[in-house]
Order: sequence, then structure tokens, then C-alpha cells
Amino acid sequence: MTESRDLVLIIDDEETIRDSCAQILAKSHYAVETAENGKDGLQKIRDLRPDAVIIDLKMPGMSGFDVLENLRVIDPQIMAIVITGYATVDSAVEAMKKGAYDFLPKPFTPEELRIILARALEHRRLAIEAEALRREKKILEENTITMVSHQLRSPLVAIQQYFEVLLAGMAGSLEEKSKEMIKKASDRLVRLLDLINDWLDLARIDAGRLVGKLKPVDLRPVLSKLVEFMVPLAREFDVDISWHAPEGLLSMVLGDDATLEQVFTNLISNAIKYNKPHGRVSVRLGEEPDFVVVDVQDTGIGIAEKDIPRIFDQFVQISRRADKKLKGSGLGLSIAKKIIDAHGGRIDVKSEPGSGSTFSVRLRKVSADTIPT
Amino acid sequence: MTTPAKILLIDDDPDFREAVTVILTSASYAVIPASGPAEGKEKILREKPDLVLLDIMMDSLFDGFSLCHDIKNSKEFEAVRKTPIIFVSGVKQIAGSRFEFKGGEQGLAEPDDYIDKPVKPADLLARIEKHLKK
Repeated sequence: MTESRDLVLIIDDEETIRDSCAQILAKSHYAVETAENGKDGLQKIRDLRPDAVIIDLKMPGMSGFDVLENLRVIDPQIMAIVITGYATVDSAVEAMKKGAYDFLPKPFTPEELRIILARALEHRRLAIEAEALRREKKILEENTITMVSHQLRSPLVAIQQYFEVLLAGMAGSLEEKSKEMIKKASDRLVRLLDLINDWLDLARIDAGRLVGKLKPVDLRPVLSKLVEFMVPLAREFDVDISWHAPEGLLSMVLGDDATLEQVFTNLISNAIKYNKPHGRVSVRLGEEPDFVVVDVQDTGIGIAEKDIPRIFDQFVQISRRADKKLKGSGLGLSIAKKIIDAHGGRIDVKSEPGSGSTFSVRLRKVSADTIPT
Repeated sequence: MTTPAKILLIDDDPDFREAVTVILTSASYAVIPASGPAEGKEKILREKPDLVLLDIMMDSLFDGFSLCHDIKNSKEFEAVRKTPIIFVSGVKQIAGSRFEFKGGEQGLAEPDDYIDKPVKPADLLARIEKHLKK
């Protein structure tokens, strides 16, 4: 809208009112339009998008109240001032409830009209500004998280990349001791990168944009692909990973595929890392009346019963390996729980110390439209 | 004697370029470096590489995607349209899902593959081999 003049629409069945208001407002340099009934008024609102509307409450046909109700649907930021001939409290209150900014009882002076209109437009200006600021703040927050992420990760990624090349022996042969030290440095770096990722996830959760728009997600192909992706990691930890999804199971849920993948990646990667040598990880798809169930089972040392209640808390690092070597950042499971909670689902763990643990994720089923029974 | 395959490496981080160049040359690939999309555009047309490694740069997240889109769609790059493009991403992508920037949904052409930074040398070489064989 490049016009700097505010546009005011006057809706009144009486010609004298329309004309006199128009004159008063034109003198104050407002752009003015008029309509002689509610129906035309609404059409002009849709077509012209005025900044303010002056509405006569008592009109034949569509009443001022009806116009108010419809106006709110079209654009709640358009200010409405109602003119009432019977200045009773009731009609004024009802008008305000229906979204009018203020009311003007007849007869009114030009000055009274101008003052009310000026206030209404100031109010509108502030509301629009507040909305714009809110949107800007959100974008800034998101950009900051992204920026911080990039600035923190970028140098670490470069360092780690050099380590990978060195460890692969591609930059000349390494003494055994040198190789060992570089490997240890590299391991610490990887954990630092993971920690940063986890913190950024948390920052995103707090910034309220954790779970994107929910849409139907078929877990079957998602998990099958994910398990395949995890095979190299499983091999690295000398663990066997398997995927079980009986035919005919309904696996469609309402969710955000990105964050759900994050949860399952976390669970499966934990199951692989916190396992026994020659251990097993099985990922199973199951179905309950209301839920799709995903079980991630490992043959690790298990989790003591006393630790189970705390396992999804932030910063809780429970030793899950016999050799006590690996420890996570303590954030992964708390993030996973936040994500599943945001989906309206459930995540639980059952464990037998000595034999292993099973993490179960339950997500509400969504009926696919075209599944024939 | 077969000429070694040429790989165009587009990344604004000189350390990353150096490390990856070592990986590629150890597998006898010839490496053409470029420090950004502009240089990348020029070099792909001039050198006609067998494959492109393209960093999805954060400052210009859109540039990586739009370069890929141009190569696969615009008349300007017709001569090199079939060159396989692998996105190298510092923005973590899980299990091959592009969750940070769903380029496909925005109507932008998808690359032939994705790989996360930092790359494991063996992984990178395997992917490249796979796409060169096609």
C-alpha cells in the first residue's frame, strides 16, 4: 500500500450521514468511500481493504452487527467504529464484543468523529507494528540459532576433516603413537560436535519451532531406510542390526518426518553404541488399537531400575556400557522425549540389567484415506 | 592409459578443500577447486568435470541449491547437464533426509546425492565411484 492516506469506509443507509461524514473526513485528508447497505459495504471491504470502517448499527437488511461479524473474518486488523442511534449500553457492549474498536452515539460533532477515528487508526498502526516486530524477532531468533550453529561447527568440521584424512593414512604414514593420539583427539572432537548439535536442538525446542507442521508420515519406509543407513555404524561397533516389520501393519502416523527421524536415529545409535561386543540391535514395527509402536531393542548391560525414571531427564548420563567407555551428552533422550511429547505420543523403556533394554515409541495412528480393508 | 576422472570441488572453506583434495588425489582423481558458486559456474563450463562436489554454504544456503538447479535445468548449462552433483553439507542431514532445506518442495532440482561433513574418506570415495559408474 503505497498510499500514505488512510482509507475510511462509511456504511450507512442514510445519505445525509454518509455525505456529512465524508465531508468531515475529507477535510482531515482521509480518503473516503461509502456504501449504503451492509452487503455492499462488505463487498467494498473485500475489494478496497480500508483501514477503518464506520458502521451504522441500525440498517435495513444486513445490520451493523452482521457487518461487524463478517469484518472480523475478512481482516481483524481493520478498525470498526459503530454509529448508534440508540445510545444504550447494550448495543455498545454487543458491538465491542463483536470486535468494534469504539462507538459513536448520534448526534455527534465533527470533532468527536475525528478524535475517535484518529485513536482507532493509531491503535491499528501499533497493532500492525507489534505483529511485524514479533515476526522479525522470530526470524532473528531462528537466524541466530542457525548462525551460531554454523560458526561453532564450521571450524570443528574442518579440524575433524583433517583428522579423518590423517587417520586414513592419506597424508603420509603415521607412527603408531601419533595415530593413537590423533584418534583420541578425533573422538573428543566428534563428541563435541554432537554436543553442539544437541544444544542447538534444545535451543530450537525452546524457540518453539521444534516440530514442524505435522503431516501423515509412513514410518515403515522411514525406519527401513534408517536401519540401512545405520549398518556401517553397527559394523563399526561389531553389532548386528535387524529390522522387523510384518506385512499388513498400519504404519501411518501424523508427524514431522525430520524430528521423528532424529528420535529414531538417536535411539538406534544408542542401542548400537551401548551394546556388548557381538551384540544385537533389533528395530521392530508393531501395532496397537490407537498407536503405531516402534521398539528398539539392544543387548547391552541394561539400565538399573532406579535409574529408569530419570533416563529422559536432561543431563542425566547413565553408564550403559560395561567398559564405561562411551558417554553421551546427556541431552539426546531428553530431546527425543520432547519431540515425541510434542507429537502427542509416548516413549518408554523396559530394561533387564545384564540382558539389555527396549525403548518403545508410540505414535498415534492416522488412517490413510485409501487403505482398503 | 585412461585419463583420471576430474572432480570439481566447490567449497568456501580452504581447509576443507585441502583435506578433501588429499582424499581425492589418493584415489587418483584430478581435483578442480572453486571457492564459491560464481567460480564454480565458470569452472564447470570450462573444465567439464566428471562430477561435482558442492558445499551447501550457510551464508548463501540458497546459492548451492540454485546452482544445482541451474546446472540441471537452464540452457546455459546444457553442455554439462548430466554431470552428477553431490551436495556436501555442514548442516547435519540425517539418513539422507534433507530436513533443513527441503529444496524439492520449493521446486528446486535435487542433487544426485548428499553427504555430511566431515566425510569419512572411504564413504566419499565409494559414493563418487558409484556415481561415476552410472
